[in-house]
Amino acid sequence: MRKIIGRILVFFVSVLLLSFLVFAISRLAPGDPLLSYYGDRVEKMTPAERAWAEKKLGLDEPILTQYGNWMQNAAKGNFGISYKYKQDVIEVVLERLPYTLVLGGIGFVLTFGLALLIGMVCALHEERWIDRIICKVGTVTSCIPEFWISLMLILIFSVELQVLPSSGAHSLTEDSFIDRVWHLVLPMTVVVLGHLWYYAYMIRNKILEEIRADYVLLAKAKGLSRRQILYRHCLRNLLPSYFSLMAISIPHILGGTYIVETVFSFPGIGKLAYESARFKDYNLLMVLCILSGITVILGNMIAQAINERIDPRIRAEEVFHDER
Amino acid sequence: MEDELMLNVNHLSVEFKTKKGTVHAVRDVSFSLKKGEVLAIVGESGCGKSALCKAIMGVLPKNATTEGRVMLQDRNLLTVKEKERRRLRGSVFSMIFQDPLTALNPTMTIGSQIAEAIYIHQPKMRKEEVKERVYELLELVGIENPKTRAKQYAYEFSGGMRQRSVLAIALANDPAILLADEPTTALDVTIQAQILTLLREIQQKKNMATMFVSHDLRVVNQVADRVAVMYAGKIVEIGTREEIFKDPRHPYTWGLLKSLPEFSRGQKELFTIPGMPPSLLTLPKGDPFAVRNDYALAIDYEKEPPMFEVSATHQAATWLLHEKAPKVAFTTPAVFASEAGPVEVAKSTGTEIIRVNHLTKEFRMPGKRRFTAVSDVSFSVKEGEIFGLVGESGSGKSTVARCLMDVYTDYTGEIFYDEIPVHDKEARKKYKKRLQMERQMIFQDSTSSLNQRKKISYLVTEPFRIQHLKPKRGSLEKEAIFQLSYVGIDEQSMQKYPRELSGGQRQRVAIARAVATDPKLLIADEPVAALDVSIQAQIINLFKHLQKEHGFSIIFIAHDLAMVEFLCDRVGVMKNGELVEVGDTAEIFANPKHAYTKELLAAVPKIYKEGAPCEK
Repeated sequence: MRKIIGRILVFFVSVLLLSFLVFAISRLAPGDPLLSYYGDRVEKMTPAERAWAEKKLGLDEPILTQYGNWMQNAAKGNFGISYKYKQDVIEVVLERLPYTLVLGGIGFVLTFGLALLIGMVCALHEERWIDRIICKVGTVTSCIPEFWISLMLILIFSVELQVLPSSGAHSLTEDSFIDRVWHLVLPMTVVVLGHLWYYAYMIRNKILEEIRADYVLLAKAKGLSRRQILYRHCLRNLLPSYFSLMAISIPHILGGTYIVETVFSFPGIGKLAYESARFKDYNLLMVLCILSGITVILGNMIAQAINERIDPRIRAEEVFHDER
Repeated sequence: MEDELMLNVNHLSVEFKTKKGTVHAVRDVSFSLKKGEVLAIVGESGCGKSALCKAIMGVLPKNATTEGRVMLQDRNLLTVKEKERRRLRGSVFSMIFQDPLTALNPTMTIGSQIAEAIYIHQPKMRKEEVKERVYELLELVGIENPKTRAKQYAYEFSGGMRQRSVLAIALANDPAILLADEPTTALDVTIQAQILTLLREIQQKKNMATMFVSHDLRVVNQVADRVAVMYAGKIVEIGTREEIFKDPRHPYTWGLLKSLPEFSRGQKELFTIPGMPPSLLTLPKGDPFAVRNDYALAIDYEKEPPMFEVSATHQAATWLLHEKAPKVAFTTPAVFASEAGPVEVAKSTGTEIIRVNHLTKEFRMPGKRRFTAVSDVSFSVKEGEIFGLVGESGSGKSTVARCLMDVYTDYTGEIFYDEIPVHDKEARKKYKKRLQMERQMIFQDSTSSLNQRKKISYLVTEPFRIQHLKPKRGSLEKEAIFQLSYVGIDEQSMQKYPRELSGGQRQRVAIARAVATDPKLLIADEPVAALDVSIQAQIINLFKHLQKEHGFSIIFIAHDLAMVEFLCDRVGVMKNGELVEVGDTAEIFANPKHAYTKELLAAVPKIYKEGAPCEK
């Protein structure tokens, strides 16, 4: 019980800290927030008009006071309006969120499913031709930047072959399930390719480490077959590392989706985040950063909780900590 | 029934293909194993005994190839299908390993690991029956409260308990053959005694044929019915226990027996087998042992000796048994142990080099828990004295050593080095240079205590560089040559890196580095524990020799009581952080006062008593 309260506390403190950092940094960075609200009109504004506009948006006060105000409103569930969309930020985000969830979420699941599969294939054929080929190809693909792969894919499949759409989440004229899936193919490929090998390689090496452990020899001596040893002993002991890896990967894959969304003009929150940072849409930026932060922190907490269930030793260490 | 043949190994060879070439791990080995018999395989590390075990079990790594036959009744195990082999593994023969910690899966309960071994071979067994069987097995191997213990994990078990659990797994299906690969090597001596007794008891009760692999002759003498001695992948001598210990015929067996410290009791030096075992990659022509053999004949360098029959049960592969060879006889030591009379003790009358008063060291654990590693320890070491510190793992020996070397300074109590109060920060600062020069330390693991990226010549002279000392022999290079030749390392090795040397040579380099600055106190923490028997003796002799030349004091930390008895003038016995007994070596070994010292001494297996091999 104490542990749970402690973790919730850690969670809130982290989010609070994150919100303050984002708030401070975004405001200290150069750029004019009025530009996103008023557009080109800003250039023709008189100083008096400017002051009035800043006051209206609450940008005339010191940063700490601004932060205090923002916190007060946020506590009531009011995160302000987006300067660019002139709409409640929550509404703006909610409209875009499903796209990113689909792209990032499925990308995440695909990445780890494939990584485990490739890792296992490589580990079982260690140093044989299939392992060598996958290792070499994998290393090369993981070195290519995402935006370049994206451009190449667009060039090949959209421009040359004209089989896949190059941008958007659905066609302008048509909006069916199949059409949406069709639009997902290229962005998803890039999201998965960008990270797949890194994790597959980690999993491959972890499996090899487990296979060489002495308990595998004992399991062999018991009369278990290779397959039984792999499934009953190795994979189970692999899972804690696997889940930790998944937790660590969340920010990377999230970051990856942001880039991919931008290149493919995919209307997710990644593209939104990029725009909001560029055009100083403060309120929107805050919500997006905090949302990403919460995802990452929660992911880590969930992985930790699962690992404790699998590996009794982690739990035992916890017991020590609580015995004060 | 008693003589029923279980296993027959015929001309078995095992080779490993590695990047460096083919390793001939097992070469043309033949022997048989009868029901209810314990056959011990003895040899130094790298002699192929583990490979032999794994070959019989069929768990060799992929790069291994085998030749010959391993016959279980009328089936050749090397040619049966993998599926059939799997069926035999764990049911007809099982195996236990050296390190019980890593042999158990850390994330499965002990109970389920045992249950798994049962299920694999009896998949139709009912759940309750399996449970009952698990409890029964745990009880059989002497684990109390099997019902709660079965639900626990390996990390909750002590080393001895873990080995018992591994044994329970091995016994799950009442195997006819048990292979034990160094099952007690990683355990403390009192635990070792318990496990050996248990193993012997169960073996007799179940009438199992057992192959017991070990490097420790004392242990072998306790458990074996027959003994096979292996050298460089070959069995060089095989016979009953009595024959091997009373009437050994192979010079290597003689050497192994003579290297035991109890053999040299009352003498100035330990007997050693010169040189070291050959690499199994490139074997020399003729008998691989010839170069280390004092009795080698000309033919030994030309042709490997065949097995000569000594008796129906006793064979040895040495040309000495050829009818034309000169007759050389091995004598069991005439003088032994108690008859040796009081060991000549160089009563050191010098001043105290180190004095420890009420030393206590606590470690902070997570939370507010504290663990007292050393509690209220007081002792002193005189100039020129070799002081032994013995005790089982976790008794606080190493912590004492680290306090003495200022690795830990947050202890309570007092430590005086040559009347310098080193527990005092100011004094440590004031005498910093002297303390660093005059106190030196040697560690157990020379692989990790020497920087792998520096050459030997640099490592030995590093103290001079750090302290900006002018080497006595002119240049650093000359100093390195001198110090290394002193510990028996030739000039050619100077430009090598530590990993290119053998374990024994590395330990010599570590010693050369330590004595380079003319220390007054040498602290050696288990300096020979990781070495082979014949190499251990060489290092111990080196210590004795250097001490005589330099006259420094040594604090020798060890768990091998026989070594301590041979080397040390005085001994301190530690248990659970306390020093339970201190005294002259002869006194402690002849008349231990404390119950724990008695227990410790009794737990050491003995080979000879009053000049004859003692009973099991």
